Amino acid sequence: MTIIKKFEPEQQKKKFPKNYIAMTVMGLLTLILIEIWASNTAVAYGAKFEQLSGAITNLKTENQILENEIAKSASLSSVASKSAELGFSSDQSIQYIR
Amino acid sequence: MRIFWIKSFFLLFFIGIAVRLFYWQIFKGEYLQAQAEQQYFTDVKVGASRGSIFFADGSVLASSNPSFVLFAQPKLITKEQKLTIGYRLAKILAGDGEEVDSLAKNFIDKLSQDLYWTLLRRQISFEEKKQIESLNLAGIGFEQESSRFYPEGSSSAHLLGFEGLDAKGDAKGYFGLEGYYEGELKAISGSLRNEKDARGLPILTGNFFTKDASNGKDLSLNVDRSIQFIVEQALKKGLEKYGAKAASAIVMDPKTGGILALAAYPNYDPQKYSDFPKEYFRNPVVADSYEPGSTFKVLVMSAALNEDVVKPDTQCNICDGPVQISGFSIRTWNNQYIPNINMKDVIIHSDNTGMVFVGQKLGLDKFYDYIKNFGFGESSDIDLQDESFPDLRPKKDWREIDLATSSFGQGIAVTPIQMVRAVAAIANGGYLMEPQVVKQIRDDKQTFDIKPKFIRQVLKEGTAKIVTEMMVAAVNEGEAKFYKPKGFKIAGKTGTAQIPVAGHYDPNKTIASFVGFAPADNPKFVMLVRFDQPSASIYGSETAAPTFFEIAKQLFSYYKIAPTE
Repeated sequence: MTIIKKFEPEQQKKKFPKNYIAMTVMGLLTLILIEIWASNTAVAYGAKFEQLSGAITNLKTENQILENEIAKSASLSSVASKSAELGFSSDQSIQYIR
Repeated sequence: MRIFWIKSFFLLFFIGIAVRLFYWQIFKGEYLQAQAEQQYFTDVKVGASRGSIFFADGSVLASSNPSFVLFAQPKLITKEQKLTIGYRLAKILAGDGEEVDSLAKNFIDKLSQDLYWTLLRRQISFEEKKQIESLNLAGIGFEQESSRFYPEGSSSAHLLGFEGLDAKGDAKGYFGLEGYYEGELKAISGSLRNEKDARGLPILTGNFFTKDASNGKDLSLNVDRSIQFIVEQALKKGLEKYGAKAASAIVMDPKTGGILALAAYPNYDPQKYSDFPKEYFRNPVVADSYEPGSTFKVLVMSAALNEDVVKPDTQCNICDGPVQISGFSIRTWNNQYIPNINMKDVIIHSDNTGMVFVGQKLGLDKFYDYIKNFGFGESSDIDLQDESFPDLRPKKDWREIDLATSSFGQGIAVTPIQMVRAVAAIANGGYLMEPQVVKQIRDDKQTFDIKPKFIRQVLKEGTAKIVTEMMVAAVNEGEAKFYKPKGFKIAGKTGTAQIPVAGHYDPNKTIASFVGFAPADNPKFVMLVRFDQPSASIYGSETAAPTFFEIAKQLFSYYKIAPTE
C-alpha cells in the first residue's frame, strides 16, 4: 500500500496589519489627549463649581426663610390680629334659611 | 582602614535613614497623614433639616429655620485688624438693648485669644450673614446650623413640645410630638470630602467621598388649625373670666379617634421654652390625674344600662334622702332629694344618691370590668410623649364606700384624654378608639398613613343611643341649659369634683368640667373642657359648660351645621 501524502507549500502566517497597530496607538493617544484636555478644563471649573454650590446653598436658605415668613404671615394669630385691625369681627348672629 | 571607615560611615548613614523613616512611619505616621489629608482634602458638612409638622390643612405648625454660627480664626488676623473687625461686627450684630461698645469689646477679647478657632456668636440670621460677608473680613467665617421655627407662636405648645439640646449639645425633641416622634423628625447630617487644589478649590476630576444627609420625616396631623384656634381663644377667655388656676380642653373625632384640637393654659412659647418654668411643659390633658366628678356618671349609667340592671324609667328606692354607707353620709350636690327618681332624671339632676343606687345594682365586679373596658387604668396610647395615667386600685382593695363614691366620680382618678376617649365610645355607638394626633408620616420616598385604630366594643349600640338621649336631656333640662346654643342637639354632662387635700375634700377647691358631643345624632366632635379651681364659681355648669357651648357654637358654624330643633 502506497501512502501518498500531498505536500503543499506552507502558507505564510497572517501578520497583524501594521496600519491596525498604528490606528490603535493613534486612538489611544487621542484618548489620552482628550483626557488631559478634559482634566485641565475641569480643573479650571473648580472655582465655578464652588460658586454654584454656594449659590445653591444660598438659594435653598433664602427659600426656607421665605417659606417661614409666609407661614408666619399666614398663621391664624397673625391673620386674626390683621383682620381685627381692618375692622372685621366674628359673626354675632347667624340666620339659617330653611 | 579607610575602607573600614567608609563602610562604617555608610552603615551609620543607612541606620540613620532607617531610624528617621521608622519615626515618621510609626510615631508620627498618623499626624503626618492627617496633615497631608488636610492639605489635599476639604471636608464639607452637608446639613439636613428636622422634619416639619403640618396641621391637617397643610399649613405649617413647626419647621426649621436656617441660622448661622459666626466664628473666627484669630491666628489669621493681625492685632490691628482685630480691633476693626470687633467694631464692624458689633455694629451689625448689636441687638435691642445691646451696646455696640461692650459687644465690640467682647468680640475683641475673643479674637485676642491664643486659639486657632473661636466661636463669636450663634443664631446669626441670613441677612446679618450677608452683611458681614460683604465686608470681606479676614479670618471670619460661618457654619450653617438650624433652629426650630414655630410660626403659630405659643399655639399648640403642649401638643408640640419643643426642640432642646441633650447632654452632648445635640438637638433633641422633648415633650409632645417633638419628643414622641424624635426618631422620625430627627435629621442626620451628611458629609462631602473632595480633593482640593492649591487655592483650596475642589478638583472636579479628583476623588469625592460622600455620606448622604438625611432630612427628618414630616408629620401631618389630624389637628385642625381653625378648631385649635377657636378652642385656644375660648379657653383663654374662660380662664380669665372664671379666674381659674389652669384650664384645658380637648376635641376629638369620635368616629376615628383623631385629635382635632388640644389646648392647655398656662402654656409656653416652644421657641423660648427656657424662659418658662419647667412645670409648664407637662401636657395636663395627657399627664394630669383628676377626679372626674359627675361627668363620670354617664359612664357608670351606660354600664348599668348595658348590663340591663337598670332601665331609663327604673326608679331609685333609696333617693329620698342622704344615703348612709359605712358610716359616711352621701348627699346630693344641692342637698335636695327626689323620691323614686328615675334613671334619666338621675343624669339630668346629677343625683349622687341615684348613682349610688346604680352602682349597687351593677355590683363591684361588673363596675370594675366596665371602667377597665372604658380604658381607665391603662394608657390611651396617644402619640404624645408625656402621657402618664393613674393606676386602678386592685379590685380586692375596694370597699363598699369606694364603689358608692366612684359611681358619681369621686375617689377615682382619670386623665382628661382617658375621659374624652371613654365618652367618645358613647358618641360613636359603643366603640373605644385609640386617640391619634398624627395621621401621616412622609419623607421624600414614601408616605405612611396612620389608620384609625379600634380597640374594643364597650357598649351595645342601643345602649349608646339611650345614654346619648339621657345626655341630651341633661343639656336641655340640667343646670347648664341657659348657655346651650338654641336649636342644636348637644349631648353632655357637667362635672364639679372636689379636690382632695391632705386626706379630705376642700369644698371651695374644685375641678369644673363639661364633657359632651354634638350633633348628638351624628357627632362630629366630642369635647372636654376643664377648669382647675375656678374662683368665679366652683360649678362646672357655670364655668366649663358656657365655654363648651361657646366653642360648640363656633364649631357648628365652622362645620356648616344648621340647627335641627
